[in-house]
Amino acid sequence: MTWVLFIPELYCLLMAIAFFGLSMAARPNPRRDYLVALFLTLVGVVVALASVRLEGTLFFEAYRVDLFSQVFKFLLAAGLFLVVCLCTELSGIEERHHPEFYLFLTTCTLGMMLLVSSVELLTIYIALELSSYSLYILVPLRRGHGSDVEAGIKYLMVGAAASALMLFGLSYLFGVTHTTYVAEIIRLLPGVIHTPAAILGLLLTLCGFFFKLAVFPFHFWAPDVYQGAANQVTAYIATASKVAAVAILMRMVALSGGTSVYLVNVLVTLSICSMTLGNLVAIVQKDMKRLLAYSSISHAGYVLIGILSMTQTGYASAIFYALAYLIMNLSCFLVVVKVAEDGGDLKIAQLAGLHRRSPLLAMVLMLAVFGLAGIPPTIGFTGKFLVFAAAVEKGYLGLVILAMVNATISLYYYILVVKAAYLLEPDEEPARLVVTTPTKVLTVVLVTVMVVMGVYPHHLLEVARAAARALLL
Amino acid sequence: MSVEFAGFPFLTAILFSCLAALLVILFIPDERKMLVKWVSLVFSGITLLLCLCVYAAYDRNLGGLQFVEKILWVESMGIYYFNAVDGFSLPMLLLTGIVLFTGVLTMWELETRVKEFFALTFLLVAGVFGVFMAMDLFFLFVWYDVSLFPMYPLIAIWGSTRKEYGAMKLTLYLLAGSALILPGILYLYVKAGLNTFDITALMRPGVFTPFQQKFAFLLFYLGFGILAGVWPFHTWSPVGHVAAPTAVSMIHAGVLMKLGAFGVLRVGIFLCPEGWRYWAELMALLATCGIVYGAFVGLAQTDLKYVIGYSSVSHMGIVGLGLATVTVDGMNGAVFQMFAHGVMTALLFSSVGYIYDRTHTKMIPELGGLSKIMPVASGYFIVAALAGIGVPCLASFWAELLVFIASFKVYPVRGAFAICALVVSALFMLRVVQRTFYGEKNERFAHLQDVSFRLGLPRMILVSVIVLFGLYPSLMLDVVQTAAVPLINGLPR
Repeated sequence: MTWVLFIPELYCLLMAIAFFGLSMAARPNPRRDYLVALFLTLVGVVVALASVRLEGTLFFEAYRVDLFSQVFKFLLAAGLFLVVCLCTELSGIEERHHPEFYLFLTTCTLGMMLLVSSVELLTIYIALELSSYSLYILVPLRRGHGSDVEAGIKYLMVGAAASALMLFGLSYLFGVTHTTYVAEIIRLLPGVIHTPAAILGLLLTLCGFFFKLAVFPFHFWAPDVYQGAANQVTAYIATASKVAAVAILMRMVALSGGTSVYLVNVLVTLSICSMTLGNLVAIVQKDMKRLLAYSSISHAGYVLIGILSMTQTGYASAIFYALAYLIMNLSCFLVVVKVAEDGGDLKIAQLAGLHRRSPLLAMVLMLAVFGLAGIPPTIGFTGKFLVFAAAVEKGYLGLVILAMVNATISLYYYILVVKAAYLLEPDEEPARLVVTTPTKVLTVVLVTVMVVMGVYPHHLLEVARAAARALLL
Repeated sequence: MSVEFAGFPFLTAILFSCLAALLVILFIPDERKMLVKWVSLVFSGITLLLCLCVYAAYDRNLGGLQFVEKILWVESMGIYYFNAVDGFSLPMLLLTGIVLFTGVLTMWELETRVKEFFALTFLLVAGVFGVFMAMDLFFLFVWYDVSLFPMYPLIAIWGSTRKEYGAMKLTLYLLAGSALILPGILYLYVKAGLNTFDITALMRPGVFTPFQQKFAFLLFYLGFGILAGVWPFHTWSPVGHVAAPTAVSMIHAGVLMKLGAFGVLRVGIFLCPEGWRYWAELMALLATCGIVYGAFVGLAQTDLKYVIGYSSVSHMGIVGLGLATVTVDGMNGAVFQMFAHGVMTALLFSSVGYIYDRTHTKMIPELGGLSKIMPVASGYFIVAALAGIGVPCLASFWAELLVFIASFKVYPVRGAFAICALVVSALFMLRVVQRTFYGEKNERFAHLQDVSFRLGLPRMILVSVIVLFGLYPSLMLDVVQTAAVPLINGLPR
């Protein structure tokens, strides 16, 4: 029964239909919407977990289900669930739009799930657009701001440009190899990878994913969109969306067979530019979400280091890093969402006195931020360690030293966040933050995962390695 | 899974007691300040006892690695949870135990954010212990960074004098150091091709080519050297010491700086002996610069804590000089000096802390004649200052003697400079003592109480340690010897 392979996606589709039904309700009821979403996405995680071991192909070989794709589907489902967990007070979005908000989150996740399994160029393109268009709608959904519309338009424009470049690149790839099947391209492309058309085609194709991942020079949208979108939407863009981008980027880079020096050089350059630019500009940011946007640009650079190693260990480390990034960023956004209760933007200065308002949130913020800076014993350090180890193995020692210098620079602004939370005293004493029990549980789980996976990465690493093996088959 | 345990896992117990203290403190309510302090004291006491047990139980005739605990941690990367002690790390464990215990006692009067202070301190100390006992490069690096980042909040929250600047400078400098160390570790890991981070496996002769050793040693020397206060990368250290609260200064100058020197020793010298010999000249040069520079800059300071900060740079230069001689005497002296300087600096900062808490100033010209007001408190400082000068019968005398004998043989000119600098540092220490504690009595402070027995306890412990090891240096040298001799004899001719 081949349809079993498609269960996580089918489930997502059903979820979308359910939210569509909710959106037609006569009277808005945010509480009901939230609980339904929480339950449905939790079941989604279970479904994704249950289907991790599935393997096979669908739709005339255009769709491959393997450990690689299933691990990422699980991560996406988990990311969606965690983002929905943050939606207890969805005050950034008008109440009557709540069902639509969940609906588009779900379709976006569906698009990304399709994306990580697609092994045919047109399927990849369609899946990518499905997820992008959902986000184009989600970004301007914010209540009463002007900036959200600006952000939405910016996102759409940059996204459309990246899509166009990508389509153009796909046409070159098709021209060079006369096929749209990734498996065929993997066989044919290394033979012609030294021709300009093949390189250009591959690079232009990658542009579409660079846009998703906010790699330099496709990073312009990130700060404005991060700041302009509702906090929960930003959380989603910063986590699940990035994870999917990493996955598909790996699949496309794996196409080259790891023999093209030119491609590697381009990726090295982009990686260095992303890291340096992201870290330097982040230093002067005053808004927490903008800061996280620039930090995400620099993290895109770190992930690229793992991907450009083009070895199994490299891909495994990038997968590990993607997971680490998902968890750390979600922890940061948990704090952003909880501290900015009214759904507004969060200035870093507004974190002042957080250690007294809520010691638990202050602690998770400190851990997450130090994790992003790559300080042990957090999962962020272990991710960096693995990525760098893979790069040094391929002889990119200089790149690793540069990346470490960058990590040191980034430490400066991460410390400023910690300083705001632990040191600065607010002008007037704000009320203690009420942290509900479910949030407490979520926080403790996130902290535990960050530390335990950071100190004992054995099992997770094995999964990542197996997934990377499946990718290279 | 390969598990090797020799009896009770003392080393893990030491780590565990620090981490347990951290967890217990986290669950104590904010208001119960005394409870936090007692819990800290009990756990640091347990830690110190465990350290003493290990120190006493170490078999000096056998030497080598003892108390081995080894578990395969991450199979695919070849990472082991591998703890052991040898003659080099044993004195460091003892030092950390002593400084932690006395540090907790010194901070007995702390009133602001007590819980967080002790929690962070225990995290820091767990990292320090971890580095001293780790025999696996991955864990060594993890513990190393764990011991660094609590410094930022510790200084920035509870510090004084330009605390935020000092804290940021220190953190960035030290983590810039790890930006060199991590690539170095990964470089060796990859070049060895053994798929292991186990130091004992990597240190076998012939694993690395001379070029690889030279290159990697430079990375480690610079990276760890920053933390060891090697001139010209020392500028964070006086600023950091001055800004930090008393106990943190004690742990920082007393233990953390040793972490840097120990890192050079454990990673650089153990894994890259060829590189060590190749760069020894440079090490000796920078160390001598540090000794001379620290002594002269210290001469010009008017802030008591700056004086100690620069004398630390000078004294850590002696450690560097000892390591640079590549001789048994030099190694013995360097490790002994690490221990002696740790105890001595802890005592200095501890006494200054008491004085500062009472007088609210640490400027030398403002103090004056303190020995008439607080004879006992002044006494502690004076003992430590004498130890810093290297007066016989105190621990650092033996350490400095050994280093200077060795360095005079190997590098006569630099050795001579270093000894001259010692005279200068004697001059400035005595000048500080004279101006601060003798001379005109400052009436402003006449009402102040002298240090009570309870508050003086930590300083008494430190003084007795200094005197004990000054009178019986073999207590320490016998241990260090067990590691230094095989290391030097094992060098390829």
